[in-house]
Amino acid sequence: MENQVEEKLGKQMADKRKMGIFSTLLSVVIAFAIVLMLFYGLNHLIMGMQGLPLNMDLTPAG
Amino acid sequence: MMHGKFIKLFPLPLLLMLLFLGISTALQAAEPGVSNVADRIAPVGRIQLAGEPPLEAESEVAAAEEAVEPMAAPRPMRSNYPDIGVSSRAIVWVLAQLHLFFGALVLAVPLFVLIIELVGLFTGDERYDDMAHEFMKISLTGFSITAIFGGSLTLALFLLYPDFMAYMMHVFGAQLLVYAGLFFFETFFLYTYYYGWNAFRYGNKKWVHLSLGLMLNASGLTIMVLANSWATFMMAPSGVNEVGAVVGNIWEVMKGPLWNPINLHRFIANIAFGGAVVGAYAAFKFLSTNDPEKRAHYDWMGYTSNFIAILAFLPLPFAGYWLMAEIYAYSQQMGITAMGGILAWLFILQAVLIGTILLAGNFYLWAGMSRTDGSERYKWLVKFIALVLVVTFLIWITPHTLMLSASEISLLGGTHHSILGPLGIMPAKNIAVNLMLIVTFLSFQLYRRSDKVATVSWAPAGNALMVAIYVVAIANIIFLGVYYGYFTNTVYKVGSSVAQVVSTLVVIISGIIIDTLMFKNAKILPSHWGRIPDRAQYALFALPIAFTWLMGLMGYVRSSVKTHWHVYTVMKDNSPDNFIPAIAYAGNMITLVTVLFLLCLLFMFWVANLSETRQVKPVTAGKGA
Repeated sequence: MENQVEEKLGKQMADKRKMGIFSTLLSVVIAFAIVLMLFYGLNHLIMGMQGLPLNMDLTPAG
Repeated sequence: MMHGKFIKLFPLPLLLMLLFLGISTALQAAEPGVSNVADRIAPVGRIQLAGEPPLEAESEVAAAEEAVEPMAAPRPMRSNYPDIGVSSRAIVWVLAQLHLFFGALVLAVPLFVLIIELVGLFTGDERYDDMAHEFMKISLTGFSITAIFGGSLTLALFLLYPDFMAYMMHVFGAQLLVYAGLFFFETFFLYTYYYGWNAFRYGNKKWVHLSLGLMLNASGLTIMVLANSWATFMMAPSGVNEVGAVVGNIWEVMKGPLWNPINLHRFIANIAFGGAVVGAYAAFKFLSTNDPEKRAHYDWMGYTSNFIAILAFLPLPFAGYWLMAEIYAYSQQMGITAMGGILAWLFILQAVLIGTILLAGNFYLWAGMSRTDGSERYKWLVKFIALVLVVTFLIWITPHTLMLSASEISLLGGTHHSILGPLGIMPAKNIAVNLMLIVTFLSFQLYRRSDKVATVSWAPAGNALMVAIYVVAIANIIFLGVYYGYFTNTVYKVGSSVAQVVSTLVVIISGIIIDTLMFKNAKILPSHWGRIPDRAQYALFALPIAFTWLMGLMGYVRSSVKTHWHVYTVMKDNSPDNFIPAIAYAGNMITLVTVLFLLCLLFMFWVANLSETRQVKPVTAGKGA
């Protein structure tokens, strides 16, 4: 009986750790995706404001 | 009783009212439209011969001629420059630079003192108030020293460069009196601000005191921007025609193309410089005492000073970049003289000095981490920050062109080494500078975080976002520098540097916002002020030395780009020193001025200490017998 409880608790802990790692990974992926988009847009904006347009792949369009 | 109370309550408004009345009366009397000289001395009657039209007064004819032909800039010959047996330029150089050093210091200190005082008011922590007062005490002697050097400089200029000074007086006219008048304001606000510190300490009186501080800063900054207009007029004259005759009003003369870039650059640089100097004072006091309480106080003071110096220093390269861009826009020749000719080598020395400042500032922060036990969490990152700092520092100091002999060129296979070629140009340096600033901010952020534990539920997500911002910003800066710098045209190369600067600013601004929100109601770990290695204090000594040398060096560059002109393209310099001095000579001059400034600074610190010292009454022999 005690072994079963310990086993159950251990499984719960492992699940929680897995969830923790998963949610951390998810946070990191989402954060990187947002920041990448932000800087991509920023490059277009700053260069465009100076009259130096860029193509979608960031090569000079002028 | 009532009378006494009135005087006690209203001396300040009364004085201000009298001052205002006096100045407005003086201005009214001096207003040209109301009673100008011609009106006052014009004859009452007019001479007229019978049958002839009335004769025109001679003064009116002369005035009409003057209105048609404004005075051109003088063209002095070599003999018009007095020879006193010593290089006139050397004398003016030393006096002007020392005046500027002290001027920068006394303009900057009240700026951050006011902010520290405000922090003290809002937090209710009297330690801030005491520290702000102590900062003012240190700089008080500096005001007199600034005035002494300023007066000496003026006399030297009038003696050694009379034609040039006559022309400047003619161009700026009454603005010079406004400049002089501002000193009265500054002195009034300085003394009431400093000596009224304890009299106006609490309640509404504190706001009176803060207002005095604000007015002190307003006077100081106006003095600075007025003086800047003379320097920028000499570099890029405006409001005058091609022969130097004044054709615009005083505002058009002042707002030349380089005025605002210099204003911003000097404003920021002064704060960084002021922070570094008072940091050295704190270090000096820290090392000279064994009292743990005093060590804790001066450790905190040193930390605050370093914080001010480095924080103000972070945006400084961008202001410098703007200034150089405006110099190039005004005159490409002037820009190339600065960064493409003999003076280009000085930018390598500038990089060495800026690298020294950043390394010293970072080292002080890393050493300061030992004040809190929570810093153990971040110490592993220090070696990576140090690595980035060293590598980028080496890239920044890499010259593009070496001074080589013919045999060395043949051995090298050309004037540009295969590695020095790409690393010596601006794209590489832009990457290096931006990365140095980013990792310096990281040091700051880690230091600030080391005594806190975030309690908000979104802390892991916040950290993930911060890491992503750092990684992507660094990658973006490298991409922009390498791709647009080496593989596209020059226009895109220059334009991409703006995007690099914005990337760095995104890191700094988002870092401040994220940390402010994430560490709201954070668990605070104990900090042990005074628990810092003594060697960290030497970093605080390195900062003002490097800053002073740097200011002297860049001042030499700024002044030299005019080449053989007093006022660029308008008034030629025909003095014996009308050439750009050699680097070695300039280096010696800058070192001499730096040493003189540091000696004066030691005197300032000593005087500040003197007020705390009280001699013990000597016990006369036989008194008790």
